[in-house]
Amino acid sequence: MLLPLLVVAGIAVGLPLVYAFYLSLTDFSLTQQGVAQIVGADNYIASLTNEGLWGAIGTTFTYVIIAVSFETVIGLLIALSLQKQKWARDITRAMLLAPMFITPIAVGLTFRFLLNDQLGAIPYLLKSLGTNYDFLGSGKALFTLAMIDVWQWTPFMVLLLLAGLESIPKQPLEAARVDGANAVYIFRRITLPLLTPILSVAVLLRSLDALKVFEYVYATTRGGPGTETETIQYFTYQTGIQFFRLGEASSMAFILLLIVLPLIVFLFRRIDRRTSS
Amino acid sequence: MRTSLTKMFAITATTALLAAGCATGTGVEAESSDVGEVAADTSATVRILMEAVPDTDIVQGLIADFNAEYPDITIEIESLAFDQMRDKLIASFQSSDPTYDLIVADNPWMDDFAPAGFLAPLDDRIANTPGLDHEDFFGPLREIAEVDGVTYGVPFYNYALGYLYNEPLLTGAGLSVPTSLDELVTTSKALTSGDQTGLAMQPQRGYKIFEEWANFLFAAGGSIYNEDGSGALDSPEAQAALEAYIDLYNTAAPENSLNWAFDEAFRSVSTGASAAMVSYNWNLPALNSPDAGEFAGNFKLAPMPGGKQVLGSWTWAIPSNSASSDAAWAFVSWLTSKEVDVSRVIAGGAAIRESTLQDERVLAEGFGADYYDAIIAILSNAAPLSEGAGGEEMIQAVGTELSEAVAGTKSVEDALKDANDAINSIQG
Repeated sequence: MLLPLLVVAGIAVGLPLVYAFYLSLTDFSLTQQGVAQIVGADNYIASLTNEGLWGAIGTTFTYVIIAVSFETVIGLLIALSLQKQKWARDITRAMLLAPMFITPIAVGLTFRFLLNDQLGAIPYLLKSLGTNYDFLGSGKALFTLAMIDVWQWTPFMVLLLLAGLESIPKQPLEAARVDGANAVYIFRRITLPLLTPILSVAVLLRSLDALKVFEYVYATTRGGPGTETETIQYFTYQTGIQFFRLGEASSMAFILLLIVLPLIVFLFRRIDRRTSS
Repeated sequence: MRTSLTKMFAITATTALLAAGCATGTGVEAESSDVGEVAADTSATVRILMEAVPDTDIVQGLIADFNAEYPDITIEIESLAFDQMRDKLIASFQSSDPTYDLIVADNPWMDDFAPAGFLAPLDDRIANTPGLDHEDFFGPLREIAEVDGVTYGVPFYNYALGYLYNEPLLTGAGLSVPTSLDELVTTSKALTSGDQTGLAMQPQRGYKIFEEWANFLFAAGGSIYNEDGSGALDSPEAQAALEAYIDLYNTAAPENSLNWAFDEAFRSVSTGASAAMVSYNWNLPALNSPDAGEFAGNFKLAPMPGGKQVLGSWTWAIPSNSASSDAAWAFVSWLTSKEVDVSRVIAGGAAIRESTLQDERVLAEGFGADYYDAIIAILSNAAPLSEGAGGEEMIQAVGTELSEAVAGTKSVEDALKDANDAINSIQG
């Protein structure tokens, strides 16, 4: 019974992984002549001692923390509101989910011009209010990119959290109300604990997805100003595709995998423990 | 079960390694053909990968004329955005069943593609093609197609930069076209007032900022490389150029434009929000096009202050594994011939031949004699951003350091030192 699943998983997941791992052990470059040479751990050593890579990893995690934190809080607030909505529920939910269905590169390009100081509606609005903000300037660009992520992916949070809220049993909530508990107490002591498993999964899924941020960077800043928005995906893309060094780029991907994997395992264990308790 | 799983893993791993082994063998040796004049009855299909730009549309429009001479050669052009091209090209180069028989290559690619054996040498074809007159192509464009003394391509179009300015704004302010770096700074500042800025700059990290700033470097009397090929960005000229660039960004460029690239700058100039920009010479017809807005007709082109500018060039090249190299050469040699080049340039194609820009039909039907005079001056004194392999990486590295300096996260001295170190470590 298990064999077909393992074969499919082996081909679909295992083969590309094994190939990528093999590449990470070679000096494979897209423009080299002849067969790639095995270089052992050289690529890993080069990557681990590459300050640029660590900078990109730091930038990426900062981006993920900002984006997912905002998405979680805003998503939860919207989900709680929608849960109580009595009329036009379908239309409201469909409209809220719309940003998710736009391809990220189109979102990036849209915001590039929307935030443009001479052409964009947002700077124009701010100027009419007597203020000025350099959205993609130094010290601000990463936050702006995270907010673009928030605009596009908060609906995903809403979708998951709304499903979670609607699956919470009604009896404990009603019992608390009968006992005179106020809304804040009910949220903190009943709703939030019961929502935690789905909240954890939602945060995990969004974090993993946000780690892959590439399109917004590509469409707006190309990693700049300086290296302020140079994320791990953009850094790896440059190394592997722009500079042809696929072997080195593969080692970077595996280093990221080794960093992220323990975090995922840790989170799943926590979810399991909470669910079983 | 454990044994089965182990076997499965072994099979998977072996398959992957075999696949890897197959994929990594580039192995196509460059072979030169001496066929110059291709027979008119040649029958073949030429599949070409080109960038989705107006120059490609112009080529597309000439295919019918080509087929009048070569009725049995089918030309199939695939147009892609710049960023999608290189991956597809490399996949085709490495395949025993190539996707493309003829390509256009950006200038930094030539030094990577040719040594890798991806491109066929064309010296013999050029020598044996009557009337091609290779020397008539602008010298700097020919040099880009030459790698280690071997010619691997024929110029397709140039994208040398120049100073594009709104003439009434300049003359209205009692100013003339700047001819030195100092004048560029003072002129741009003088043109900045109210909602109008003097220069729509393009300081986006990477290629754009380096491409723009290198013109400042040349104007300051500096260069990117020393004569021995080492980096020359640790010079006083480079420092003066970067200080002038930052000064202009802070005083004469649109506000909050640290990530601006071509699209934003073009829009700013065409709408009158900026008085000038440093950009590709062939943008002038687009700026003056009747549908470009109320300022159409106001724009002029001049060589960069100091007289030397950054040169970019697209080059026709035949892959070593082309399935129809003779037919591909028939198309390239026909398209770049003097007669057809005149038609191409009149239609708006960017210049490659000196004789074309002196042709009476071009002067009468094209975009004005002063435009072509400026292009002749530009193409006679221009240099590319990179020389040698690793150009793309070098450009990105230097462009990152320049961006740091403009953003204020690095001092001018440190940024230039790091940029110079990057040139030497990447291309040294």
